[in-house]
Amino acid sequence: MTSTSRMKSFIVLGLLPALLLFVIFVMIPIIWSAYYGLFDWKGIGSAKFIGLGNYLEAIQDPIFWLSFKNNMLVVVASVFGQVPIALILALLLLKNHWFHSFIRSSVFMPMVLSSVVVGIIWGYIYHPEIGILNFLLDSLGLGSWKKLWLADPGISMYSLMVPIIWNYIGPYLIIFIAALQNIPGEIDDAAKIDGVQGSRKLFSITLPMIWDTIKVVIVLCISGSLKAFDLIYIMTGGGPAHSTEVLASYMYNNTFSIYRFGYGSAVSTTIIILSLILIAGSQYLMKKDYR
Amino acid sequence: MKKTLSVIMASTVAISLLLAGCGNKDSDNGAKPSDGKEKVKISLWHNYTGDDQRAQTMRSIIDQFQKDHTNIELDIQAIPPDGYRTRLKTVAAANEMPDLFVMWPGIMTKEFQAGGLIQPINELLDKQTDWKNGFLPGSFDGFTIDSNIYSAPIALSPTSILYYNKSILDANGLQVPTTWDDLMKSVEVLKGKKITPIALGNKASWLAQSSILSSLADRVTGTEWFLKASAQDGAKFTDPEFVQALQHLQDLGNAGAFQEGFNAIDNTQMEQMFAQGKAAFMIDGGWALTNFAANATAEAMEQMGATVLPSIPGGKGDPNTLSGVVGTGLGLGKDATGAKKEAAFELMLAMAGPDAQKRVLESNQLVSYKVDLDKSKVTPIFSKVYELLNTVKMTPVYDGIMTSAGAEAVNNGLQELLMGGKAADIAKKIQEAQAKSLRR
Repeated sequence: MTSTSRMKSFIVLGLLPALLLFVIFVMIPIIWSAYYGLFDWKGIGSAKFIGLGNYLEAIQDPIFWLSFKNNMLVVVASVFGQVPIALILALLLLKNHWFHSFIRSSVFMPMVLSSVVVGIIWGYIYHPEIGILNFLLDSLGLGSWKKLWLADPGISMYSLMVPIIWNYIGPYLIIFIAALQNIPGEIDDAAKIDGVQGSRKLFSITLPMIWDTIKVVIVLCISGSLKAFDLIYIMTGGGPAHSTEVLASYMYNNTFSIYRFGYGSAVSTTIIILSLILIAGSQYLMKKDYR
Repeated sequence: MKKTLSVIMASTVAISLLLAGCGNKDSDNGAKPSDGKEKVKISLWHNYTGDDQRAQTMRSIIDQFQKDHTNIELDIQAIPPDGYRTRLKTVAAANEMPDLFVMWPGIMTKEFQAGGLIQPINELLDKQTDWKNGFLPGSFDGFTIDSNIYSAPIALSPTSILYYNKSILDANGLQVPTTWDDLMKSVEVLKGKKITPIALGNKASWLAQSSILSSLADRVTGTEWFLKASAQDGAKFTDPEFVQALQHLQDLGNAGAFQEGFNAIDNTQMEQMFAQGKAAFMIDGGWALTNFAANATAEAMEQMGATVLPSIPGGKGDPNTLSGVVGTGLGLGKDATGAKKEAAFELMLAMAGPDAQKRVLESNQLVSYKVDLDKSKVTPIFSKVYELLNTVKMTPVYDGIMTSAGAEAVNNGLQELLMGGKAADIAKKIQEAQAKSLRR
């Protein structure tokens, strides 16, 4: 037996427990959920097989598409908000000065807080009666800018973006810092000898060196935003009148408020399909190699 | 060949690791305590987790029961009220009902019964006839299916009481409104003086439905129409009387009766607003009373009064009514049999029996049981509501009668209505949701 095949069998052995857990707790439930989606089931009593009825109902429901649109807003805001901000901060905070590590920890802090806490804090910032934001605008003489941040359906979705972006910058910042620190020192030295500096160095050396990391972060960011639920559930619950509904909250409300377990399962399967399409699409767009 | 073997071995190891975690369970079953009685273990699920007086009373009753019955071991799951129904429905879907649990009358009892998840308690009620006869008429209606009774209520929940702040009304020369015009005039006067007329916290979206619309619509359409429309039998939610009821609510909103941002604050915050004297009125349920008792000052409670919603000119409903439901009781899960069932009955009697009903009433929670109220033990506003209830009739609450999907459509529809949506369109959505969910 050659050493490579021995190596391979070791890899298989090492991956097996994790793979097994993944299959049992992720893959099988997904398949089950898709299967439950074929039934009309209240959660109690017998389930009636209705074929693709639930799936057809979902794609014909205007609220489903409103949730999808809102969810796309979250994805766009996250990809074009979280990723660039995290990258810029990472470039600025790369040095290991005490001040830099202080800023780094404070950016990372919301990540340590439970999202329920973050949701409640921002709920109070936006509060219509005692909210700090409206109070601040008042004291700055900008009373006319005061808004019903979460109750006005015209702006509530945008109000939600701010805490969502703020909350999730931390992990991407850490990933970017790690990637930047992994750029070998020799390349820096070579750049110095060649006299490359500033933005030229950024675009010709730094970004291409971490391009793979950026791709990973964007995929994480898209999948994370498609799962967006906790902050929105705490702050608005998808309301008022569905105006801040996203796919996950739409699924949750149908399953656990109206108790249509079969329909909820169909919606969650549809979410998985939409997510796969989006991630495949983004991968395709980023395929062209920066290097 | 070697490779296959190692794969098999690895899977065996992984699986045995997984199974080891599920091993030692229930090893203490059947252990006998010193007094010789067989030890029984029953599970109890409740939502008495809050800081309000009722929850504290219920918890102390349960603690006392545990001290008195050393042979009964309780496995207690205390779940905060907001998540309680969801958790319960989830175990119901998995067919793992607790032995004894807090259960709602009406649609929940019906669904559990249809799923074969609960047992009737007639046996216990027939043994304890004094207890059974102590309940107010109609108390068991929501828990009864084909002459089987599935629970006994421990609460009574009027949902639409018009609370008012006397000192604010007096200071502005206003009377307690008895007609719709009175109410609209009071709103106008208060609005002119920059006082919030009616506090509303509709973030969770059921409040406007349960507290305002249930009574308001009943005034306009009458109870009979609503029952017909819910059953989709000879009436529809698109009928002009229902649209008119929605229109009345929208008019109230357009007149500026509610403070700004009411869709972003919740029920508790709204009760705080009212208790702090920041609003002249509040339309809320009986559950506010136990919260007031725990959190509002004595002076604030002195100022509070309670009445029914004003009458509406030309309405078909009886104006001397308010919407309400018999509250939760304890349901008996299907797995409680033999000694477990006996133990569960004992606990049920401790938590819903005459003594418990009296203690619950004295913690400022209305009950559906004949108890003389000792006014020195409750807050002034509680005794006012208690007296009010003795003079009015109760009408159904929308989400107690409609299907879950239909009620959800009303909830969301009212949020839309108060943000300027068209009443007729919203009525149509409600009609569609109710009709569709009944067809399934």
